[in-house]
Amino acid sequence: MYAMMALGLTLVYGLLRILHVAQATVFTLGAYTGLLVANHVHSLAAAFAAAALVAGALGPVIYRLVYQPILDRPPFVALVASIGVLIAMEDGFRLAFGPYGLSFAQNPWFTTTLGFAEVSLNLAQIWIVVAAVVLLSAFALFAARTRAGVAWRATVSDPPIAESFGVSVARVRYLAFFIASVLAGIAGVLVGLLNNLVEPGMGGVIAYKGLAIIVLGGLGNVPGTLLASLLLGVVESYGTVFLDKLLDRDAIAYLFLIAVLMVRPHGLLGKGA
Amino acid sequence: MSFRMSSSLVLAAALGAALAAPAQAQSIRIGFHAPLTGFAASDGKSAQNGAELAVEQINARGGINGRKLELVIYDDQARPDQAVPLANKYVGEGLKIVISGSYSGPTRAAAGVFQGAKIPYISAYAIHPDITRAGNFVFRTSFMGEVQGRAAPKLIGEILKKKKVTLLTLNNDFGQALAAGFKEVAGKFGVQIASEYTYAMGDRQFGSIVASVKKDEPEVLYVSGYFFNGGPLVAQLRAGGVTAPIVGTEGFDTHNFISIAKDAAEGVMITTSLDRDTKLPEMRAFIDDYEKKFNAGADMVAASTHTAVNVAAAAMRKAGADDPAKLRDAIAATRDLPVATGRITFNAAGEVYKAAQIQVIKGAKFRYFATIDDPVLLAPPSK
Repeated sequence: MYAMMALGLTLVYGLLRILHVAQATVFTLGAYTGLLVANHVHSLAAAFAAAALVAGALGPVIYRLVYQPILDRPPFVALVASIGVLIAMEDGFRLAFGPYGLSFAQNPWFTTTLGFAEVSLNLAQIWIVVAAVVLLSAFALFAARTRAGVAWRATVSDPPIAESFGVSVARVRYLAFFIASVLAGIAGVLVGLLNNLVEPGMGGVIAYKGLAIIVLGGLGNVPGTLLASLLLGVVESYGTVFLDKLLDRDAIAYLFLIAVLMVRPHGLLGKGA
Repeated sequence: MSFRMSSSLVLAAALGAALAAPAQAQSIRIGFHAPLTGFAASDGKSAQNGAELAVEQINARGGINGRKLELVIYDDQARPDQAVPLANKYVGEGLKIVISGSYSGPTRAAAGVFQGAKIPYISAYAIHPDITRAGNFVFRTSFMGEVQGRAAPKLIGEILKKKKVTLLTLNNDFGQALAAGFKEVAGKFGVQIASEYTYAMGDRQFGSIVASVKKDEPEVLYVSGYFFNGGPLVAQLRAGGVTAPIVGTEGFDTHNFISIAKDAAEGVMITTSLDRDTKLPEMRAFIDDYEKKFNAGADMVAASTHTAVNVAAAAMRKAGADDPAKLRDAIAATRDLPVATGRITFNAAGEVYKAAQIQVIKGAKFRYFATIDDPVLLAPPSK
């Protein structure tokens, strides 16, 4: 889950050097879209499709309206704008969908549980793992094998040269926002199903933790990001059990971030400057 | 021409009436602040609904001594730094009484301002002990956390006849105060605390806590929190195969809790003040009218602000609405007043005594399970 959100953030950062905090807005919109569709047509497949589409559309819109006009400014300007979008939209969701949050009318993934020996999981938990593996593998294939993927990697490493070889940098950027947003929208529905609760503020924690992860992984470094999400998940779960009297789980996440950055200032797999 | 004449005459008459009306019976303005935006906006909405319903019911019965009530509502965003300027604004506007429909942070910050200005201030559901310590103009109509926490061991030890309990405590003042009250009297009812785990406000995933609880094999769980974190927590406990009975608190006392936890909510018991099967007419009217007006189940936050408005109204009936000092004395003298949260009595510290209601969720509804009416166990601190 963390991986799906953080991958999107790292893609955008790798391409544009923007810390795209507002991706959490896309995540929340995806969750609301999925929930409303699921409660009206009673089909989870339709819910995911709608969430992916709506979220996928919002990402490029945010890029066009918010980031593109300020691309020539220092990176913190985009970060401030991004945080602004996140805060404004949180209360926007509150106005549109009410402050209480919404629950799925029928949520088979939430109520069905499967037992494996000592462990019992519900379907939502299993699907999150499946979805993360499938989507992330699909992305890896796309980046390695397709023309668009090659164009993308070229743009990341050297935009002017890529452009002189006929790659449309603008299209690659839109594509990056689209893919990041589709992943975020699907993640939103998955988390909504997992908690059976979609609430206006659900993106907040995800936004800042996603940032922690991409810093941890070495900014813009895809394998590093995936490794960092995995590690953070494990550290958090053990931390909640053994350190719960001292620190809450978000504090544990940031402590871990600080500890790693003291030893490896460029992130887990980051290269020295 | 004649048509014009008459229409302007009508207009003039209407204007005259509009201007004259406030002079005849000026409405009584009650200050009311709640978190209408920000992370606590869901409780802020319920708080506002409860207060507005109370005002509507009172006005429908003719108001207070012929004067209508009117709420002056401000948004405090559940932030202490917003509450102090708001409090000063209320004082500057010359309001004679203010109600907090907000959390402990802002309420605690504002309490000092109102005490300084000698204006009665009623906290509807904020639970921090320091709020009423601001002075004799500050009152609280909800249980203090510690007091509510003391009800659960009696339920577990005496009524359910269980011993070994695990505490799942929300890591904020509400959760900690509940746990403190629980631990204070657990021994008296033969209840042993096998283990305690804490979690944070924003947590929605509890896999590691569920695994630990399973290992501890408690007979009962005592869970604090709100519907938005407690709902997922209870659901994950059940999904993870924990079958022990769950005792919650008034933080779960809203239908949203049931919509989130679904089947996992069945059988969950809560300590609260709202009895859905009550025969007390004031409580009954609150529950029924709330459902009618908002098309949603009544919740504890709404009941609390509804109570606070009615406490203020009862005091105004006795002492009039224009002298804050007389109003304060009338509020302090409240004894056995029937309101939406039961029959309430204030002690010298401005804290409330009332019976604790135990509700159980059956068929996706809160139903009566037991009442704990124990003035010694549930006595609020007297200073």
